[in-house]
Amino acid sequence: MIVVDGLIKAFGRRREIRAVDGATFVAGDGAITGLLGPNGAGKTTVLRMLATLIPPDAGVAAVDGLDIVRERARVRERIGVLSDARGLYARLTARENVRYYGRLHGLGGTALEARIDALLGQLGLAALADRRTQGFSQGEKMKVAIARALVHDPATIMLDEPTSGLDVMSIRSLREQLRSLRTSGKCILISTHVMQEVALLCDRIVILGHGRVQAAGTGAELLARTGEGSLEDAFVSLLGSAEGLAA
Amino acid sequence: MNAPQKNRMTPIKRIVTVGGKELTDVWRDRRTMLLTLLMATAAGPVFLALILNMAANQAERARELKLPVDGAGNAPALIAFLERQQVAIVPAPADYEARIRNGDLDVVLSIDAEFERDVAAGRPATVRLIYDRSRDRARAAIDSAESLLRAYNRQWGTQRLLLRGIAPQVASPLDAQGVDLATPQQSGALILFLVAYYGLFASLMGSVAVALDATAGERERGSLEPLLATPLSTSQLAVGKWLAIGAFDLLVVLLTLAGFYLTLNFAPLPAIGVPFLFGSAELVRFVAILLPLMMLLPAVLLYVGLRGRTLKEAQSNVSALVFVVSIVPVVQLFLQKKEPAWLLWVPVSSQYTLLTRALRGDAIAFADWLQSATLPVLLTIVALLAAARLLRREDAFAGR
Repeated sequence: MIVVDGLIKAFGRRREIRAVDGATFVAGDGAITGLLGPNGAGKTTVLRMLATLIPPDAGVAAVDGLDIVRERARVRERIGVLSDARGLYARLTARENVRYYGRLHGLGGTALEARIDALLGQLGLAALADRRTQGFSQGEKMKVAIARALVHDPATIMLDEPTSGLDVMSIRSLREQLRSLRTSGKCILISTHVMQEVALLCDRIVILGHGRVQAAGTGAELLARTGEGSLEDAFVSLLGSAEGLAA
Repeated sequence: MNAPQKNRMTPIKRIVTVGGKELTDVWRDRRTMLLTLLMATAAGPVFLALILNMAANQAERARELKLPVDGAGNAPALIAFLERQQVAIVPAPADYEARIRNGDLDVVLSIDAEFERDVAAGRPATVRLIYDRSRDRARAAIDSAESLLRAYNRQWGTQRLLLRGIAPQVASPLDAQGVDLATPQQSGALILFLVAYYGLFASLMGSVAVALDATAGERERGSLEPLLATPLSTSQLAVGKWLAIGAFDLLVVLLTLAGFYLTLNFAPLPAIGVPFLFGSAELVRFVAILLPLMMLLPAVLLYVGLRGRTLKEAQSNVSALVFVVSIVPVVQLFLQKKEPAWLLWVPVSSQYTLLTRALRGDAIAFADWLQSATLPVLLTIVALLAAARLLRREDAFAGR
């Protein structure tokens, strides 16, 4: 479970750019929570703070009750992160890339190899497992990065734009996997600006705009609240039309 | 999907994991790898062979002096003297001054047309040596021509004194004797410098490519951000990378020194009476002397590499470092003074000093080695801490 309470993060020399400005939301276990927002809404910054990559200026957040600043090390053991930057080691094979992260998480031996085989198989990368990632397509690289984020079977999974660069078939299979992870009780938080993704996958939607949570709830709740017929219209209406689109 | 069994992860294990991954990564970079290793093994011996050949040629020139003489007929006695000293006399070409200037001739002896008349009149007779002393190659020929003329002068003067019934000693109250303390190994200063310099340089160049790839390269590829979200601490990451860079550095240094060792001990080099020792004892001493640098330089390169916003920026920062390190021994060589004692505290400088000592065949006192290692070890720790701090900064993974 992820609990976010009043997170603030500003950038710039005089901290004049407030990327996240008092975000508050909860992402529960056994559910997929979608962080939806236009470009520059602060999605990536929120995820970076939750992944302990950058500390918040103010506010608190906890993963399974562990504070993301004070208990950073323990948080890192529990999370699997597909970050904004998802570069691979081009001279290492897909398997070696995933294995590196597995080892850093304390895995090893045949258990790790079996886990890597299973993950790469599910992502449709079995045939490429022992090839260097140098010549991989954008989508293949993305899949390796996802396998790398999941190798230690984390209880909390955070994926920043996980479908970008994937083809339809890959997106469908990723969706299926995330649903099966949800069934096994994981807390899954994904950020996206693709409306369709959210509608098909997410149990709860957190709409972020200008660094603040503009609305949160299930898809149906958001539709009811705005009186709109589609999620896209609801999104635009919640962000205050012009303001939201301009952002 | 079954949850995998997690083991307790010690810091050492994580460091080893990072180091192992970095070494695999660099080993796969075949082009950089081959280039670095080839340069390390081949360049030293090639360099050495060139220098030794040059030295041998110089010695040869001095031994078999071929002296172009202008006006040989003016002083037949002098010419006979020179020929007795194994000098081959050839007539000088008309444009000898121009030829000396452009390096075709080393030295020419010109005998004045008034030679015989001056001698008959009891005046000092004039001979001229024409040369260009700025040419290193010509120096040996010039020196031997000069000393031959001095010898002839002395011999002639002595004969005149004897003719007048005066003991030659009367005219030379001072008996100046030079005692050369140089053992055979102590000569050949240039070669000495080059071998020491090259060893020093190898410990720097061995780590540059790997360090850049593991720091600015890692960030530019976008693999640093996910890495920093793993349980790996920044100090473990820094130390792991440092160990990998250091290990590769050690490999390059060992190959370079092995190249020297094999060349100096087994290659058919021209015999130039100025050998210095580079046997297995010197090999071991070299590695021991360079060890502190092989710790320090990878750590500094790690820090410098992480400071650069981009690979390009990191590269130019590294070139500045390379310049500083490579200029130190050159400065020391040109100072030509006895090194002050405190110099042994200064990294790079102290290693260079000890390397030249080892080459001269001197034993290296453990206290001296310890002194030379002190600052490098301390600075290594500082650089590693600073690198870990850089990785902790919130803009560490971004290009800033």
